[in-house]
Amino acid sequence: MNEIESNLRQRARSLLAEGKISCFIGWGPTRFPDRALPKFIFKPEEAEQLVYNEHCLNLLAKYTLAFQYSNEVIGLAARGCEARAINRLIADGSLKRDNLYLVGIHCEGMKENGSPAEKCQYCCHRDPVIYDELLGEPAGGPENLPRFAEVEELENMDADARYEYWQGQFAKCIRCYACRNICPACNCLECYTEQYRTGWQGKQANTLENSLFGFTRAYHIGDRCIECGECERACPMDISLMKLNRKLVKDVQELFGGAEAGLSAEDIHALGSYRKEDLEEFM
Amino acid sequence: MANLAPNGLEAQAQNGKDNSNLKPQNSKPGMQSNPAEWEPKILAFCCNWCTYTGADLAGLNRMKYPDNIRVIRVPCSGRVNPQFIFRAFQKGYDGVLVCGCHPWDCHYTAGNYYTRRRFLLMKRLLEYAGIDPGRFQARWISGSEAAKFRDTISKVTEEIKALGPNYKLKEE
Amino acid sequence: MARVGVFICHCGSNIASVIDVEEVARAAGELPGVVHAVTNKYACSINGQEAMKQAITDHKLDRLVIASCTPRMHESTFRKMLTQTSVNPYMLEIANIREQCSWVHKDKEKATAKAIDLVRMSLAKVLKNQPLFTSTIPVHKKCLVVGGGIAGIQAALDVAEAGYEVTLLERESSLGGKMVMLDKTFPTLDCSACISTPKMAEAGAHPKIKLMTSCEIAAVTGYIGNFQVTIRQNPRYVNHDICTGCGFCEEKCPTKLKSEFDQGLGMRKAIYKLFPQAVPAKPVIDAEHCKKLTTGKCGVCAKLCPLACIDYEDKESFVTDTFGAIILATGYQLIDWPGSYPEYGQNADLISGLQFERLVNASGPTEGHIQRPSDGKEPKSVVIVKCVGSRDPAKAKAYCSRACCMYAAKHAHQILEKIEGAQVYIFYIDVRTPGKGYEEFYDKTRADGAVYIRGRVSKIYEEGGKLICKGEDSLIGKQVKVEADLVILETAMEPSPGSKETAALAGVSTDNDGWLNEAHPKLRPVETQTAGVFLCGTAQGPKDIPDTVAQASAAAAKVLGLLAKDNLETSPMISAVDTVKCCGCGFCEKVCPVKAITMVEIPGVYNGKRVTRGVAQVNSGLCTGCGTCAAACRTGCIDLLGFTNKQLLEEVDALWQI
Repeated sequence: MNEIESNLRQRARSLLAEGKISCFIGWGPTRFPDRALPKFIFKPEEAEQLVYNEHCLNLLAKYTLAFQYSNEVIGLAARGCEARAINRLIADGSLKRDNLYLVGIHCEGMKENGSPAEKCQYCCHRDPVIYDELLGEPAGGPENLPRFAEVEELENMDADARYEYWQGQFAKCIRCYACRNICPACNCLECYTEQYRTGWQGKQANTLENSLFGFTRAYHIGDRCIECGECERACPMDISLMKLNRKLVKDVQELFGGAEAGLSAEDIHALGSYRKEDLEEFM
Repeated sequence: MANLAPNGLEAQAQNGKDNSNLKPQNSKPGMQSNPAEWEPKILAFCCNWCTYTGADLAGLNRMKYPDNIRVIRVPCSGRVNPQFIFRAFQKGYDGVLVCGCHPWDCHYTAGNYYTRRRFLLMKRLLEYAGIDPGRFQARWISGSEAAKFRDTISKVTEEIKALGPNYKLKEE
Repeated sequence: MARVGVFICHCGSNIASVIDVEEVARAAGELPGVVHAVTNKYACSINGQEAMKQAITDHKLDRLVIASCTPRMHESTFRKMLTQTSVNPYMLEIANIREQCSWVHKDKEKATAKAIDLVRMSLAKVLKNQPLFTSTIPVHKKCLVVGGGIAGIQAALDVAEAGYEVTLLERESSLGGKMVMLDKTFPTLDCSACISTPKMAEAGAHPKIKLMTSCEIAAVTGYIGNFQVTIRQNPRYVNHDICTGCGFCEEKCPTKLKSEFDQGLGMRKAIYKLFPQAVPAKPVIDAEHCKKLTTGKCGVCAKLCPLACIDYEDKESFVTDTFGAIILATGYQLIDWPGSYPEYGQNADLISGLQFERLVNASGPTEGHIQRPSDGKEPKSVVIVKCVGSRDPAKAKAYCSRACCMYAAKHAHQILEKIEGAQVYIFYIDVRTPGKGYEEFYDKTRADGAVYIRGRVSKIYEEGGKLICKGEDSLIGKQVKVEADLVILETAMEPSPGSKETAALAGVSTDNDGWLNEAHPKLRPVETQTAGVFLCGTAQGPKDIPDTVAQASAAAAKVLGLLAKDNLETSPMISAVDTVKCCGCGFCEKVCPVKAITMVEIPGVYNGKRVTRGVAQVNSGLCTGCGTCAAACRTGCIDLLGFTNKQLLEEVDALWQI
């Protein structure tokens, strides 16, 4: 890991010095030894402030939207999850590939409070799927992890129990929108929840409105979710959001097939396409 | 709601009645709270070119079906945003139906192919959220299938009657 | 503040006998926003309309709910009425209390309650209606016909004869298509060239028709009435503006090649006319085989040309023109049978139906004498195999190619007529002869001596200078072997190469087999889903010449209906984009069935900086108002006017919001 850290610093320094990028986004230290946070580096000499260790929990990709629509080239440390998120953002028209310089790194999964991070436990894409240069060699990672096991468990419960489960989950929600703000698939300029003139959604933080927000958001990202797990990590109320997102991911895969979201920048999401021979159950 | 209030005030001014007089209008068979007399309310989104035409044909042929259905006309089933379904349950409908042209028969060529994908996914999400299967249904009914419209409405009404009043995702 | 008038129609007793209309009016009158609620005996009648107009004036109404029959019946009537009032025609909603209430329910009380609900839903919606205005688009009175076969020629002539300008586009160097290759046409047996070449000449010389050969469509933008079409002129290497078609060049060209027009049975030069009666009657150079163009040596044609027309430097060029309407007549080709039927082997005497047409044609390579391609001998025994590739989903196409039964009978007739003592065996699955005089023709062919064998041919091989056709006679349930000197395969039609791509440029979809999709198989057979684009002939599916010509004239009639108008009124109920909110994700663009949405860059401000950003833009000429985009937009920033998110949500909420 230390090798990656020094390489990252070195690459950020020279990319900035060569003027190839105007900003490099990586991670920086905090006053807590077991915590690192996203760091924006604008000058070559600041590159020493970058860190890379097992505490780099935050997904960096969405921070690039700070430069959305500008023609500056932004450098970014890209693990598997960042790379897929970048593909997501490019496919959704939020970013241009030419404005990104991706320094790819292999990731073995992060730690949270001393144990393997929840959001990394089902990660099957530990190497970046898109990059401009790769530090080190691709090292692969686990395959076919049982990432839908929790979804299936819930599917096997009866409807009333499922309803109680989700209402219980969303009773906790405080409508802080951290899940939305951190999500790389939530890349609208203005969320539907803010559209008070249309009135899609009540703003009240009551269980019903909260759950409708949760289900609607899940539906909005369902066919595009890259399963980075950031929503669940960011949620201050510990709502099992990935159990909801993975349900849609699973259904999309079963119903429409196709590759996992975010593996390519030409990603065509399931609801933006169709096949005449799609499953027919409405006859 | 709030947006209707100013107009409501004007109506009161015109009619010289107070707001409470508006309430009794709810005392229709479908809205009664007495469980014994409970009748479900079902919302159907029907595309203008097929299902709505089929429903009109059912009328033209004087077919009879339960009166629990309220139809919203949309140009194409592809117009139906899945969020409308959440809204319908939230506001108190006991069942929701989305109907359109048969997949190869869309007036706009392909709108209903998107409908099919959207609602295959939506139906599963609703069930995962705990809504009873059967409360949300989608059907393809063409402009000539008046009998299918009648039968679908009758069947869906029966099914939802059996499920009882919906409280899930419903506003207090 | 909204001032809604609600009108409940009795429709005589159609509504009033089941629904207590007075009660509905009374209930409606108490609803918020309603300032006037009355019943009307017949809302659609002159009296009914006058009463509503009067009420609009008297009560200063700014929008209407009419509870009556289905909006499919009288929405346009009432909108028309509103054009004569101060109320915008789109400030109207109709509650369908006849077809979907009084006619389908018996219980008076329940039907009345439902009618009140329907009025409330319409009221909730109408309160969110916005005035909408139709716009007009000028019609460019010019038609583009793509494809110069008999379909394209007929359509072009019909449009031109009505006085409109036509550009007739053909990919080959001459008009004519497939029909001009045929010898005779069934069932009348008139000479195909004799009836098609005069039409070609007429089209070529028509003052209103601009002929563009060796041309293809490169791009289409715009919409009905205003298509901007970029046409690619492929290099001809001969300046057709000067060339008189004297033919010296063709005579002296040293390169001999198999003629495509003669289906490989005759020869042509590297500088050539497609066929003697070509229109325009001027040659082009086959760049792939011309010695000068491939090796740099030769140049005989340039030396001989008395007018210096030869230009070896010719390059493809592009022209853009504006058309009000487009007719696609891209035609068909025959399937490449050896790919699908390897068991039939390869033999010079195993030919396709189109090759036989050239063989039997007086202007063909054998001057009309039926001779075996292998040795030039007259065949005494001929086998005709039908449905090669048609009705055979396992090997090629599932569909019936429609014309083969008849031209197989024609071929049999021609052989029996021209070769004395000849034997003709026809393997068939069914004989399909729907058409005027068709069955009679088939009967005559059998009477002439053609032997019909019901079954498919499973294998063809050579033995002792003869071709042996093995197959089953399914009527007697036995294997049969037929010795033949010549075998004719009546192969399936398939869309001409590139037709799918051309159609896609014009916004027309194709079916699984690649045939162009018509807007409706019964009621809109020559229209397509893209307004202003029409189709005819075999581009749409296999058919014979009479059907092709009929369809071509039908497409021309549709075009004339369009070009006769100076302006088109467009429906205002189309999608609109809120560019402030649009994030440019392009989901709407992906789902639009008519490709009416494109992403454009607009100036904007982001993070305090001036930027350009991508947003969706709706082409009002193309948008058909389905609203699929509106349901795909997560933000709700693309919305369908007349059926906005807000309107529909209000309609959903209506029963519970007061």
